[in-house]
Amino acid sequence: MNRRRFLAGGACCALAGHGFAFAQEPWQAPPRLAKPDLATEEGGLWAMMDREERNIRRSPFLIRDRRLHDYVQDIACRLAGDHCPDVRVHIVNTPLFNANMAPNGMMQVWSGLLLRAENEAQLAAVLGHEIGHYLEKHSLERLRDVKSASALAQVMGLFGIAGAFGQLAVIAGMLSYSRDQERKADLIGSMLMHRAGYDPAEAAKIWNNLLLELKARPDGSPSANSPMFATHPSPEERSETLSKLAAGMPGGRTGAETWEEKIRPFRNEWLKEEIKRGQHEESIALLTRMGAGSTPNSEYRYARGEVYRLRAKAGDLDLAVADFQAAAAIGGEPPETHRALGLIYRSRRQISEAKASLRRYLELMPSAPDQAMIKSYIEELGS
Amino acid sequence: MKKLLILCVVLLLSGCVSVAKVETGPRAIGERLTVTLDGAWNHVDAPGVGPGQLWTMEGSPVDQLRLYSGIKEGQALHAEQGGQQKSFTFRSNMQPDEIASLFEGMLTRDGSRYKLEKLEPMSFNGQPGFRFDYSLVRKVDNVHLSGVGFAAVSRNELFAVVYMAPRLVFYPRYIARVEHIGKSMSIKP
Ligand SMILES: [Zn+2]
Repeated sequence: MNRRRFLAGGACCALAGHGFAFAQEPWQAPPRLAKPDLATEEGGLWAMMDREERNIRRSPFLIRDRRLHDYVQDIACRLAGDHCPDVRVHIVNTPLFNANMAPNGMMQVWSGLLLRAENEAQLAAVLGHEIGHYLEKHSLERLRDVKSASALAQVMGLFGIAGAFGQLAVIAGMLSYSRDQERKADLIGSMLMHRAGYDPAEAAKIWNNLLLELKARPDGSPSANSPMFATHPSPEERSETLSKLAAGMPGGRTGAETWEEKIRPFRNEWLKEEIKRGQHEESIALLTRMGAGSTPNSEYRYARGEVYRLRAKAGDLDLAVADFQAAAAIGGEPPETHRALGLIYRSRRQISEAKASLRRYLELMPSAPDQAMIKSYIEELGS
Repeated sequence: MKKLLILCVVLLLSGCVSVAKVETGPRAIGERLTVTLDGAWNHVDAPGVGPGQLWTMEGSPVDQLRLYSGIKEGQALHAEQGGQQKSFTFRSNMQPDEIASLFEGMLTRDGSRYKLEKLEPMSFNGQPGFRFDYSLVRKVDNVHLSGVGFAAVSRNELFAVVYMAPRLVFYPRYIARVEHIGKSMSIKP
């Protein structure tokens, strides 16, 4: 299909006559953004982002898997249309929901977002939104704020000095957009999704899912706990806006099957990182949601059981055992399922069950880093 | 490297950093732990160091040896910080795998990436305990670190010596010295 004509055609039709606020200002994608003169303020900011991008390319936190990169890059490209050559995706191993796009075209996608998206369309919703900020140069206005000491102090207060030194681009990403910029980015994001053939209804879903997860925290404050919510105001309002937008652009695919196939090889690793965050309530909400899909999944079951085991509140160990047993029954469970089961049985002095589970773990993972320790546990349990 | 310098400056500006030499030979750490040194170390004292002593060869932004003596039930392994930071506290019924995870949790509070390389039983002058080896990618400056820890629980208290240094040059340079300290750990019954 001729992508350019398709893109141009979609813009006005999709929104005309549906009676919501954005219809009065039909949006046209700008031509490709040229690199600004280095002497200008914008040029200086590009140079800063170019430096940051060089750091990211070298970073040990960068996920260098070619196939995964190309897959996400391709989704970003289809959303960006004519701007595709200017968008450079970098997938960063950080277990939080976040993506951002700098004015120079650098787009960071965190592994925590990939873990949380249920399908291609949900990722496209977040990427489309960020591309919206990029096309409208919202980042330029936002980056001017970096110069404000109070804004920097606010970020350092929220996320700690280590976090602040760590990633300049993230600092920039943490500064709030205005409400109007957010609405505009949501509008553009939905339109880009629609034109690329995705169902825009998935946009409201991914934000709602994130909100539910953050609300599960004992302190219940989404904005204090997520870079994405610290910068994106009122999730309830946004979800309503996105649902309205989607109603005006019915149809489109979710890409759930391809998504499952592309993400599966990485999921267990990302689940381990998620568990390590130690945010038990959030993780349980996330894993319960992800595990509720129509196909039983032993990785989600194991991961949730492990969170229960580590939380270890009253009743948690029973829930953990139930999840581990379910994971083993489904099959294809991570070897650590048997390690965790064995450790619980050991603590409960269920000797033969403990030995059987720990042995199973060593069978499945003979070169486990803790194999010497596990062997000593088995010996100690007696014969 | 520049980021390391920034950290140093921040530490110095926050005041009250003192460094004292620790001489070769047997050294008492707290009331019940003794270690023997086959070379001198630098003892860094600064606000926020936490419940363990902090020693270093090259300066604390480069390599760190933490010595914990008599950490009690419910006590955190780090200086208490307010706000949303999760704290990592010791429970006296913790098993070696749980204690190793506790250190992992503490070392990754800033988003650094940790990998357990090895966990094995080890005894310290007859006191059963364990050794763990790990690697860490430090979030603040992306430096790859290697580390090792020696730990034991005696009379419901935790005793541990945990080291880390950049994987290249520094860790290989000092690991023998650190292992010497680990093997020398003696806990009063
Ligand atoms: Zn936004």
